[in-house]
Amino acid sequence: MAKHTCPRAGGSPLHTRPRAVVCAGLVCVLVGAMLSLVGCGENGSKADEVIVNGSTTILPIAEIAAEQYMEENPDISVLVSGVGSSAGIETVSKGSSDIGASSRDLKPEEAPLGLIDTPIAYDAIAVIVNPDNPVRELTTEQVRGIFSGRITNWNELGGPDLDIGLVNRDEASGTREAFKKIVMGDESFYIGAVILPGTGQVRAVVTDAPGAVGYISLGFVNDDIKAVTIDGIVPSEEAVVAGTYPISRILHCFTKGAPEGLIKDFLDYMLSPAVQDSIVRDAGFIPITAKEALGG
Amino acid sequence: MADQPITTGAPAEKKSTLKLMSKATYAKEAALRSVFLVCATVAVAGVALIFVFVGVRGWPIIQDPGLGAFLFGKVWSSSAGEFGILPLVTGTFAITIGSLVLGAPLAVGTAVFLSEIASPKVRSIVRPAVELLAGVPSVVYGFFGLIILRPIIADITGGLGFGPLTASIVLAVMIVPTIATLTEDALGSVVPGIREASYAMGATTWQTIHKVLLPAASVGIIDAVILGMGRAVGETMAVVMLAGNAPQFFKGPGEPISTLTSQIVIDMSYASGTHRTALFAMAVILFLISMGLVALVRLISSRKETR
Repeated sequence: MAKHTCPRAGGSPLHTRPRAVVCAGLVCVLVGAMLSLVGCGENGSKADEVIVNGSTTILPIAEIAAEQYMEENPDISVLVSGVGSSAGIETVSKGSSDIGASSRDLKPEEAPLGLIDTPIAYDAIAVIVNPDNPVRELTTEQVRGIFSGRITNWNELGGPDLDIGLVNRDEASGTREAFKKIVMGDESFYIGAVILPGTGQVRAVVTDAPGAVGYISLGFVNDDIKAVTIDGIVPSEEAVVAGTYPISRILHCFTKGAPEGLIKDFLDYMLSPAVQDSIVRDAGFIPITAKEALGG
Repeated sequence: MADQPITTGAPAEKKSTLKLMSKATYAKEAALRSVFLVCATVAVAGVALIFVFVGVRGWPIIQDPGLGAFLFGKVWSSSAGEFGILPLVTGTFAITIGSLVLGAPLAVGTAVFLSEIASPKVRSIVRPAVELLAGVPSVVYGFFGLIILRPIIADITGGLGFGPLTASIVLAVMIVPTIATLTEDALGSVVPGIREASYAMGATTWQTIHKVLLPAASVGIIDAVILGMGRAVGETMAVVMLAGNAPQFFKGPGEPISTLTSQIVIDMSYASGTHRTALFAMAVILFLISMGLVALVRLISSRKETR
């Protein structure tokens, strides 16, 4: 304790010195922190780092795969963050990430970015309702009517006299983009729909509210909600792989140019049975390898 | 640059007090002053930098959709390329006014109770509790509103329970500490003689509060409410979780609505081009609202001093 007392300041009646030192120290720490932040921004990715940015749908698979990959390769770090498909494509094309995970195809204006696609899984979107809702079957046309605001009461669909509570996703969501493309076509979403920024929130609200309807990836359907059949097809992995379930899509990993080195190594790992048959399946997606398995 | 004010301004007045100090002590004092000057400068520079940065990024909005189309446009749809913020501005004010209507009386009542009625023992429990409300993270308020309040509002209004009513109720609770603390200060700074004179004239507690204290502290209370309004306008997380985020005009207390702050949060992760510019311009609008409210408080306070 006594070591802290500076001999020169020991006899001084002013006690400002220690405070000044602390204060100056704080300023130094702050400035240092800012400088190091700036430094990180300029450096980008290091040689032994793989940065995966993108779809929150792919996040659960990519995160666990990255953890296991890092356990097997302790000197490599794989950084995964869920920022949405569009942001994932943007960062990989700008070079601030190595892999852009996307749950949607490239838009026409993104085609010239020079991105190479490695498909990693199938994902289907389920239209979900409250378990107490007797409506169990919808057509694509009816789903489009619901989400465009033309159908506003469940009794128009053979259900009870109950207002439809429309739950939509935010525009950053790859799920919304896929749903719009596959189901909505040229029609636009009803502007008065509640917009929630996450799959979990959509599911929680539909679980709770008797009249609610929303859409989430098939991988996140659980017993709290009911996924309706679309055009008579039960949303199931078999139907998705067979190509009969109408609302399905492929999950992509985009790289700037053909993947090579560490990036290729990690993508190969993503396509290996260790990831495809356990992590992808556990997350409720359908392995991209399942089609070959079924076909052969 | 930063040293300039010290060498010119400070020594003249400090010379006499520092005469007895050693050179080392004088140096320490000078160093200390510059450290604090740096601290203050960082804060001011931070505000200025943010404003300049946001302003520069948002400026092109006056060319692309044009200021009129931006401020008075009725449709906000990034996929359609329309960036009219009128529904968002009206949404912001609908929720803010709702929270003030519910929260201001609650907060002023709390302050009157703490300042005039509560015994010291009760006060020692209630005051920290009110202050604790300010320390609860807004995501916790949002979560509480989502899980507890939303289903109740859904039963009452018939929708899903997302909308201005739910958001306003939660915001009302969130602005209570701001308004209550400042109102209590205002009541506490009323000259004690007025209060004593009122009681000496035989006025009851209610008459004293109603006829004497509240009018005497009215300027401070108005300031408190305006600052509470600033808090409500800027609140983001709880609003994103509860308002429903549909960029449409106010349709009813239970119909989803969006605000400037919540739309920025929802859109910022993927916005690019004009959309991104519009988000920065919305931040400028929020900045201006905030500056306007602070200026209003200054104006009211200075009027009071000259009166």
